[in-house]
Amino acid sequence: MNEQPLHDLDTLRARQPRFRGLESGHRACQGCGEALAARLTTEAAGPDVVIANATGCLEVFTTPWPQSAWRLPWIHSVFGNTAAVAAGMEAALKQQGRATQVLAFAGDGGTFDIGFQALSGMMERGHDVLFVCFDNEAYMNTGVQRSGSTPHAAMTTTSPPGELRMGKRHMKKDILSIIAAHHIPYAATASVAYPSDLRKKVRRAMDTEGASFLQIHSPCPLGWGHDGAKTIEVARLAVQTGLFPVIEMERGELIGTLPIREPRPVSDYLKLQNRFRHLFASEYRARKELEHLQAIANRNIERFELRGVGPETYDTEGADTVHRGGDRWA
Amino acid sequence: MIQIPPGAFARPGTSLEFKTGTWRADRPVHQRRAAPCHSACPAGEDAQAYLAKVELGDMRGAWETVVAANPLPAITGRVCHHPCESACNRAYYDESITIHGVERFLGDEALRQGWSYPVPIPSAEAPRMAVVGSGPAGLAAAYHLLRGGCRVTLIEAMPAAGGTVRTAIPHYRLPPDVLEQELDHMLALPGLDFRLRTQLGRDVSLEELRADHEAVFLGPGRRKGREWSADFAVPGNLRTGLQLLEAWVAGGTLPEQPRSVAIVGGGNTAVDLARVLRREGVDQVHLISHQRVPAPGVPADDAMRATYREVSQALEEGVTIHEHRGVRRLILRGERVVGMELVHMKKLEDADGRLRRVAFEGTETVLHVDQVIPAIGQDVDGMGFESLVRRGYMEVEPWWGTVNGQSGIFSGGDARSDHGTVSEAVGDGRRAAAAMLRYRAGKQLEPGAAPEPIPYSDLNLSYFESAPASKEPVLPPEQRLGLEEIEGGLQANAVRHEAHRCLSCGDCLACDNCWTLCPDQSVLKTREVAADGSHYVFDYDFCKGCGICAHECPTGYIRMIPE
Repeated sequence: MNEQPLHDLDTLRARQPRFRGLESGHRACQGCGEALAARLTTEAAGPDVVIANATGCLEVFTTPWPQSAWRLPWIHSVFGNTAAVAAGMEAALKQQGRATQVLAFAGDGGTFDIGFQALSGMMERGHDVLFVCFDNEAYMNTGVQRSGSTPHAAMTTTSPPGELRMGKRHMKKDILSIIAAHHIPYAATASVAYPSDLRKKVRRAMDTEGASFLQIHSPCPLGWGHDGAKTIEVARLAVQTGLFPVIEMERGELIGTLPIREPRPVSDYLKLQNRFRHLFASEYRARKELEHLQAIANRNIERFELRGVGPETYDTEGADTVHRGGDRWA
Repeated sequence: MIQIPPGAFARPGTSLEFKTGTWRADRPVHQRRAAPCHSACPAGEDAQAYLAKVELGDMRGAWETVVAANPLPAITGRVCHHPCESACNRAYYDESITIHGVERFLGDEALRQGWSYPVPIPSAEAPRMAVVGSGPAGLAAAYHLLRGGCRVTLIEAMPAAGGTVRTAIPHYRLPPDVLEQELDHMLALPGLDFRLRTQLGRDVSLEELRADHEAVFLGPGRRKGREWSADFAVPGNLRTGLQLLEAWVAGGTLPEQPRSVAIVGGGNTAVDLARVLRREGVDQVHLISHQRVPAPGVPADDAMRATYREVSQALEEGVTIHEHRGVRRLILRGERVVGMELVHMKKLEDADGRLRRVAFEGTETVLHVDQVIPAIGQDVDGMGFESLVRRGYMEVEPWWGTVNGQSGIFSGGDARSDHGTVSEAVGDGRRAAAAMLRYRAGKQLEPGAAPEPIPYSDLNLSYFESAPASKEPVLPPEQRLGLEEIEGGLQANAVRHEAHRCLSCGDCLACDNCWTLCPDQSVLKTREVAADGSHYVFDYDFCKGCGICAHECPTGYIRMIPE
């Protein structure tokens, strides 16, 4: 740009009326849902926190040597032991009598699969740690391999659709039931499409004594095959269709949901993503799997009683309403 | 103390050394685009802009935004057929914003509070401009010339200002005290030399005006009743619709008291008169029109020229409308009318593709009435500028109003063949004033057009909630007997509700969506309003051009453009 800049951007950046935990200059792809989720989480959690971060996209794109995008104490653990590292930090801080809170960040691989044993132990021992799972539903960092979180019928490089399979054969792991079985004080799911709800849940988890768990649905334009501009739209549709239930649990019991005002058909969500493209072929298997995913969404709506009873301020349509002056994101 | 070797740690926020902006293929930019209400307003008002100010509680600022285009909002808020509301994007979502109610409220509030027009006091050496006729076109032209720093001579043949707004709009639509107050308010502006009872061609000539002024605006309206070119016998004492309507508006009575009347014509004069006759106790009022009742879906060239609201209120009040009907002959007993023969008619394309009215043989009917009133339109009374009138109208350049073949003479309002509403007249006056200022400065007039409106599809409706429109109270038909105003206007809380419903099409809402949803922390919020009118600044050093901000902008204010 040749014009004189309108503002001194460095000063403006330093004066932003919110805490900046994750700075610009990180190397996430265009439209990265996980970068947004991490930014929102640290905004709500900071500044007096330390973070243990499992191997994965988030770790790689925020800390390209010799730089870091973090403005918080942050440590990279190995893939499987984030919860253990966080538990150790929590114990040490407790020993020192400090109030600093501990966060553990992991992707779905570092939560559902590789990091699960350490997570289970951390929850079982009741460490005062908030474990955040940035759920983008596959091993994106290594090139889109299927994980325990990859939804049924999704295409990944290790679950390609073909003559024998229509994408991933297995179901998305029911991680919420597993978390519920640990009877931790607070567990919740959130979506980048509902940032106020997300930040409210982070603050709530931080205020909870003992282990808490937050799963954030974070679209991956590269791995899911959608336009990076549509990250929020895709995330919103996952919630509106019932494929990603937004809920809260205390001691394993459901205590609240984000009600769906008007459930949308799952095809509205799926057709925006290349990983489900094969479901729109004109063949019986495709039609069947499409109906299968609709049935899974219906089952979620049934199980968590997601269907709203009428327009509410806090439902899929009301929770993201904007106002002049921006007070909704407070 | 444990030493951490370099390479095992990094300083906080050092990623700012790496400018991810170099990855970008498209850049987001703020781009204010015209809201459909703005594009559709014949007077050129930007309703979106004033609704935003109303929402912030700045009523005076909102009124100033209105009068930046239209000096008479208390009047137009009542009489305008509000094309803004027909165009409103919110109509696709739930219901249009009740814009005319907000406009009227602001106009009334300005009169109640005595807010002064934001118009400078012209210097003694300021250029002089002349305006002929103090109807809405002339008033708007004079006002905008004053705004432009000129001194204005405004002449009016009648003993009072207002033109058609005064003489032909019934009081149940426009109460006289509102009319007087708003006209007085505007006419008190400094720099305005207002001369009543001054007739062009009698008291002053066009040449004299031209000699003493830089440019002249002619807003004569249409006051000369058209001859009823009927090839049948008509009674000698025939009175036109406009004559009767003007007599009633001025005095509140009618010369005759017939039991049944047929009015021939489908314009606002015909419909207003029909409603006046019902109020005066005429039992049967028939309206005979070649066209149809205007309604959504009826093509413009087949719809009566009267506005939809007026026609539907007339029907509520018991007026009978005979659509697609023409008059064959009048049935006379001596000089007295006792009925008329009607025939079904329709406009059809002929072999050359021209529309022609065709009467269908064998469809004749007889209507028994005591009086027939032609209300088939008026022509420009060209007194003092006879040579400029063509076929009863002023022919002008459609945007700027330059009279064809003339320089320094402009015209608009009802005098144009294609305009017939108060708000169109205000718009004509406004644009002509701009043209006159440019003419004086020796600048070329580029062809003008209303701004292209932002389409509904460019908004992101996920971020809005459904909310019903505020409706103003309307007097039920059985109570519409006197001069009492039919529409009651909106209360302050309803006005704010409407402002809150506005989708802010094409303009920044300051909703924080872009700031909240940028994964790259590349949208920065400013405390002051940024130079481009928004509340945010893009940091192009880091913006990767993903387009989330543009896609999620509720109002379509952010656009992605190729680098």
